[in-house]
Formats: sequence, C-alpha cells, structure tokens
Amino acid sequence: MYFQYLRPTLSLIAWSVLIFAYNSPTHATESEGSNGADTSLAIHKENIVVLLDASGSMNDPFSVTNQDNESITKIQVAKEALETVLTQLTEDVNIGLLVFSVAHSDPWLYPLGMKDEVRFLSALSSVEAGGGTPLAQYMKSGADTLLAQRERQFNYGSYRLLIITDGQAKSAELVNTYTSAIKDRQIRIDVIGVDMEEEHTLATVVDSYRRADNPEQLVEAVAKVLAETSTDTQNGNNSQFDLLQPLTEELAISLIKALTKAPSNQPIRAEEEKVESVRPQNVDQTARNTNKSSASDNPKDTLILIGFLILSGVIFFIFRSRQKPN
Amino acid sequence: MERNKRLFAILPLLVGLFCVTITLAHSQQNFSSLIGTNSVSPVNSTSTLIVPYIVWGGEAALFYANGGLQTKPGSIMAQQGLTLKLVPGDDFVGQVKNYLDGRTPFLRGTFRMLGQASEVIGRDPKTKAVVFGQMTWSAGDHFVARSSIKRISDLRGKKIAIQTGGPHVGMLYDMLRTARLSKADIDLIWLDDLTGAEGPAEAFRKDPKIAGCFVITPDMIGLTGGYDNTGTGAEGTVNDAHVVVSTATLSRSIADVYACRKDFYDSNKSTIEKFFAGYLKGVEAVMQLKKSYENSGSQEYMKLLQMIQDIYGPDIIPTLEEDAHGLIADCTYVGQPGNVSFFNDQTNVITGFSGFNKSAIDMAISWGFAGKRYNLLPSDLNFSSSIFTSLLSNTVRMPVQRKRFKKETIRAEVEAFNEEDVLDEKTLVSFTIQFKPNQEKFSQTEYKEEFDRVVELAAKYGNAAVAIKGHTDPSKTLMTLVKTGIKRNIIKRTGQRGNYKYFMDGKSIRLEDTEKLIKLIQQKKFESGTEIESPYQVMRAGLELSEQRAEAVKNAIVNYARKRNVRLESDQIVPIGMGIKEPVIAKPTNPEQASENRRVEFALVKVSAETVAEADFDF
Repeated sequence: MYFQYLRPTLSLIAWSVLIFAYNSPTHATESEGSNGADTSLAIHKENIVVLLDASGSMNDPFSVTNQDNESITKIQVAKEALETVLTQLTEDVNIGLLVFSVAHSDPWLYPLGMKDEVRFLSALSSVEAGGGTPLAQYMKSGADTLLAQRERQFNYGSYRLLIITDGQAKSAELVNTYTSAIKDRQIRIDVIGVDMEEEHTLATVVDSYRRADNPEQLVEAVAKVLAETSTDTQNGNNSQFDLLQPLTEELAISLIKALTKAPSNQPIRAEEEKVESVRPQNVDQTARNTNKSSASDNPKDTLILIGFLILSGVIFFIFRSRQKPN
Repeated sequence: MERNKRLFAILPLLVGLFCVTITLAHSQQNFSSLIGTNSVSPVNSTSTLIVPYIVWGGEAALFYANGGLQTKPGSIMAQQGLTLKLVPGDDFVGQVKNYLDGRTPFLRGTFRMLGQASEVIGRDPKTKAVVFGQMTWSAGDHFVARSSIKRISDLRGKKIAIQTGGPHVGMLYDMLRTARLSKADIDLIWLDDLTGAEGPAEAFRKDPKIAGCFVITPDMIGLTGGYDNTGTGAEGTVNDAHVVVSTATLSRSIADVYACRKDFYDSNKSTIEKFFAGYLKGVEAVMQLKKSYENSGSQEYMKLLQMIQDIYGPDIIPTLEEDAHGLIADCTYVGQPGNVSFFNDQTNVITGFSGFNKSAIDMAISWGFAGKRYNLLPSDLNFSSSIFTSLLSNTVRMPVQRKRFKKETIRAEVEAFNEEDVLDEKTLVSFTIQFKPNQEKFSQTEYKEEFDRVVELAAKYGNAAVAIKGHTDPSKTLMTLVKTGIKRNIIKRTGQRGNYKYFMDGKSIRLEDTEKLIKLIQQKKFESGTEIESPYQVMRAGLELSEQRAEAVKNAIVNYARKRNVRLESDQIVPIGMGIKEPVIAKPTNPEQASENRRVEFALVKVSAETVAEADFDF
C-alpha cells in the first residue's frame, strides 16, 4: 500500500536525494577510485543516527487527516517517511536507528553502520510504540556512538542526530545540558516536532527545527533534513568579501584558530564528570607533592610533629622522675 | 647510551682508523688525482680471493660465513669451495689502487663511493666495476645540526662539516636534491676522517659557526644525547644539537655493495656467484642468531660478537653486547629478496641499480670527482638459480614489492601530529601547488614536476611519510560567522557597505572576544523555524573538502606512478585535511586572494618506526 499523500512530495524527495548523492563526500573519491587507485580509508562517511520517539503518544493519529481524509497514526507516518527517504540514500552513508519505546529492550534497532536495506527495513517495521519520552539518555547514547565513530574516521565525515518526536522530554534540564555538550562537540542536531501543540523546548537551540503538523509535512521534513549536505563549496560569494573587511587580520586569525580547534570525541557524560573531578585530584596531587618536599610546610604535619615532641618530652620527664629515687 | 659514551671517549684516539683517509683532499677533487698514475694489471690470484672489509655491520655476515679473516674449514665459504682472505679496506683510495693493481678483483664501498671512483676504474674496460651484490642499507648515519637547521631547506647558506669521500657525501647529495639546493648553496667544511679528533663531530663541537655535521651513531649520541633528544651542553652534548635527518628515515640513501672487475667477473662468474651466495647465507645465519640472542640469548651470537671485536680491535669495539651488537643493529640487511629488488625490479627506478648508478655518476660529474661519465655495470647474477635457492631459505623468484607501511597506523600518526600541532616540527621539507576553485582533477602533465618529486621522496625516504595536506579558503566560514552574528544580534553593524564597522557589547570587537563571540553564535537561542548556517558546519565542510582534494591528488600521483611503472607504496602517501586552519591570507579581500588559500602542500614527515611493519629484510 502506498499513501496518496506521498505523491506530491515524491519529486521533492527525488531531488533532495539526488542533490545529496551528488554532494556526498564519497562522490569524488568514487570517480577517482575508478582509475584504479583504491587507497582511501572510509573516513568521509556521513553518519546519521535517527532518534525515533516511539512513546505511547506516537500511537495517536495526527490531529489533522491527510488529503484522503484518512486518519493515520504518527508512528505509522514516521516509519513510512523514514522508509521512503532512507532507502534512497546513497549506499555509503552510515545510519543508525535508535528507538525510544518500552516495547524494545535494546533501543538500537539498527546499530550505526553501513546501510543494509533489507535489515534496515525489517528493523523499521518492527518498531512498536509505548511508554514515555526519556529523550536525554537516548541523545547521549546516539551522540556517544557518533563520537566513537568520528574517532575512527579521524575526525572527518559528518555526524548528525535526527530527532523525531511528538512530545516534550521528561527531564528538560538534562536535555538542555546534553544538547549544549553535543553541539560543543560539533555534532549537528536536527529536530522534527510531530503534531505538537506548542514548540518543543529544543526548537530554538538545535541546528534545525521543523514542525510537522500533518503527514505531508513530516515526510517533507525528513526528506529536507536528509537532503542537507555537509559538503558545500567553500567559495565565498564574491560580493560578500566586504563582510570580512572590518575584521582585522589578527581577529580573523584568532577566529580561525578558535573555530578549528579539534572537537572532543569524549563521551558526553564521562567528560562532564571528568571536568568536575579534575580539581579535587589536583589538590591531592599538590598536597602529596608538598609532603614530599618538606613536612613542616604543611601545618597539619607541623602540629603532629610538635605534639609528638611534647609527648616524648613528657614521657622522658616522667621516665626520669621515676628513675631518680633509685 | 653507555656504549656510545664509552666508544665516544675512545674515538678521538682512533684518528684515521675508522674509515676512508684521503689525506690530500680538503675539498672534493677529481678522484684520479688521489690515485696517481696507476697502471692496470691482471688479478694476481684466483685460488685465494682477497676481499676488502670495512667497519660496518654488514661485514658481520662475511666474517660469520668465512669463520674469520681466513676461511675456516667447515665454514659456509669453505663449503662453497672458496678460500678467502679478508683485508682491511677502510682506506678507499687504497682499495681502488689494489683493485687496479690486480691485488684484489673486488671493491667494497657504498654505491656513491664507487661513483666517485667511476672514471678512474671505468676508463679501462678491464676494470669497469660490475656491482654484483647489495649487502645492506644504512640506518646509522645522521645529520646533526644546531637550532638554525630544522628542515632540510634550512641548509641554504650554512656551514656544514663532512668527511671527504666517505659514505656521507651521497647522503648530503640526496638531502640537497630533496630541498632543491645545489652544492653552491652551502658552505662545506671537508674533513679527513669520519669520526674522532679530525672528524666532523669534533669540528662541529669546536666551531659554533658550523651549523651541522654528518656523523655516525656514536657521535650522534655524543652530540645530542640520543636520537630523539636535543643536546643541552651537559655530559659532552652540544647545546641545541639534534638529528635533522638520519638514514633511519632517509633509508634508501646509503647502499653498501660489492663490485668486481669486469675482466675477473667475466671469467670467474661462478666463483662470484658462490661468494655472494655464501655471503647471503651468512646474512641469514646472522639474522637468525641475532633473533635468538634478543629473545633468549645465544652463545653462538656472542661468539660472533667476539670475532667482530677481535677483528676490529677493542679500540673500535670496546664491548660486545653494546658496540659489536650496536654495529650490526645500525644496518639493515637486504638478503636475496633485496638483491632481486635492487637489480631485477624494473619498477625500482629510483632506489634500484639504475637510479643509484644515475645519481652516483651525476654526483661524480657535477661535484668534480670525475670529468666524464663512466657507468657502473649492473649485476647479471641469476639470484633465482639453484646456487642461491638451494643454499638460502628466504628467497624470491620474481621481484616483490613489500607492503611496508601499516596503513591505519601511519595515517593515525600523521593525523595525531596534526591535531597536536607538531606536524610542522616533524616536517623535513615541503612544497605547494595551487588549484582552482572546486578543482577535482589534477593533471599529470601540469603537475609532473611535483609528482616526480613526491615519487622520489617516497622512494629515498623509505621510512618517512609523504603527507599531502589539503588547505581550503576560510572566507566562507568567516562570512558565515559574521552573517550569523549579525542575524542573531550578537554583532552590531554600522556604516555603509564597503565601510562597515562591527561592534560587540557596544565596543569594537577585540581579539579577546574571539571565544565569547563563537560561543554566543553557536549556543544562542534563535527564532524557531529559522535556519541559520553554523560557521562550524561550514568549517567542517571545508575540512572534508580539503581532505578529499588531498586524496584526489594522492590518487593522481599513485596513478601517475602506476602509468610510468614506477614503484610507489600508496600507504606511504598520507592525505590529510587541514581545512581552513592554515590560510596564507587569513582575511582575503577578493576572490584572487581567496584562491591563494586553496592549495595542496606536500610535506615529508618523520614518522615512528611503529608505522613500518617488521620484516627480516628491508628492501
């Protein structure tokens, strides 16, 4: 069965996918490779982790019906949209499907890896909705997986989380902390809010946010997000050089330096904890060093030393006074 | 370390003992003037072969195979039916005289030393030299310099100390070629000895105006404190002295070889064959013993070390486990497979016989050792004949190109250098090509010169990486940053187009605002539904593009080499994306300036030994 509402968007999807395929980083290497030089490592891969909200509410139908007046559940449309768009992605994209739903004990229905259409579609069709929306932990899991992959790709390639959700997250604060940490690590976050009454709290802080208030919009949004490519020409618009004119040479160098600092590939939570734990460790280190260099530098040690001296003095006097009568 | 200190302490006593002593020369000169008027006489004896030896680890195999200076009954050479008498040959001029006189049919030296004598020995067809076998590559010769020389190109205008006529002349020739310099670009101080009081190390130590010197391992350690160290002035080291280039990196520079007089070779080919097969058998045996010594100790290896000490004397080899063993460790044997590679591999254009012959004769002519070109002759021994294959256990029939580099490891190491900002420090030489916007094809005609240079670097510097660094223009990233900043109200703009002024927090943007500005742009909340380009994303796209360009250039070079049937190990060429981080012009004001930033830079990068797969023979 093929949904009627997909048709108007088909040409859009086709174009998007075409643009994607053309701009895909591996495009150039493939044609070079045909000359017989198979020398490259797979370091330019585009990596996309789809975080699909399959909480109970995704089983609800869209509040508006489609063009044929059919009432379809959000999860159904999301699955159809992903199926249509993802199956048309170029072969050399790594994809992962992370589903948050009580129905699945392992949320990685499709672990991040090469696109295997048959396996991916079967994973997608197995999605069942149920439970709440614990977004934060899935964001971390998705991002950590992408970071580990980036380490393997020597920091090349592109990395993005596509979050498709229909409800606010349980712990908004943690979501915000993670969002900030993920963006600091230069991982792109795209969010599609499915049929939400109000904007998602992420809407204003991620790299892109799209509303999908009806089935058509959801398909369109998925297609659009995946059509955005990481590779672009680096040629500045000729008329825009005057934008740079007010910057001093030093400021330009300084901005370039700051922007090109290699991003961290440390897992999200672990690094946050590490930052906190650095200080106490340093204090310990200093204390130990001080002890080594001179005991009397440490007031505590000095006190113990004085106490010890007094005590031995007292014992000595007691001992002497006891001996005296003899 | 200890061994070298000890050896170094004794070295000043060894004037003239160590290697070539060309007493006349204080600058290079025509080799025939060193020889005098020597007439050519037939080779005296064929029953006992007189074989010269020098102080070099490659000789260990000969000593072992012969059982000492005289062929010992039961030794490999005896089993080959040969009787050899080994004689000292460190005086190369003396060797050449003996060779012309017919006292020995052999020459024993580095390839380029033979090149220096090429005219003297090549004038008479009887004494033309047939280079019949390669013994080793050197891994123990070094160019040490003060802080004024970091890269090879820094040699320009500097005073350099080097031994006359010795093994380092060819190494210097290679280095100058690497940096596209000529002998006239440097100021050479020629010294009589390789080491000791009259050697380059002592000259360097005494005269601060000498910026660099060519030395052997013990001297290198004496000056710097160790291969990866920099001298501090303490413990006899020289302040700031460090290894710039070593044959551990420039591993295809010093080839130690045997050559034979053409007349003798033609009439005694089977004897030559037996001799060299015996030598290679000695190599296999020594390698085996060395391995078991390193694993669990070996009595027989200790006996060999003792023999080495007895032959060279305790002055040169004070200890067994350090000095004698160190001597062997400083060379890499090539074995039978290496000889097949050197003489029979048509793709081994640069570091095989033909490449060495060309560079040896080029050097002899251009540096004035010879007035006319007389080629050395290549071995036509059949290394796959039963004489070799029945005796040796590690042989090949056809030339094989060994896959030497560990692809992932070398790539990871170069990427790590880049991330830690030490890539420049590790670079020995670099050069650049520009390209057009969005250029994907790299014409082999247009870039022939650069491609040839890369192929040559990769061949000569067998243990270095050739990094291809792609650079992109930062204009778009900076424009995106400014545009996004303005859109998000972080940057305030005043003035007219062409005369804008930017403000942040009511003040002109200062250098200190950099981090804050980027953080604000990256993290600030914006209107829902709006799509704002992130400068990070544009920057990352530039990084991708630059790496892909580097990879495209690499592929073009690999194809170039393949088309010309020239050997090139593709894993040694490491493409790397620099992105926008090292622009030539950080703030381009027009497209022409921006295009100067779009370039690919080739850098010869020193890498660790871990990037190369271990093997019995290096070839």
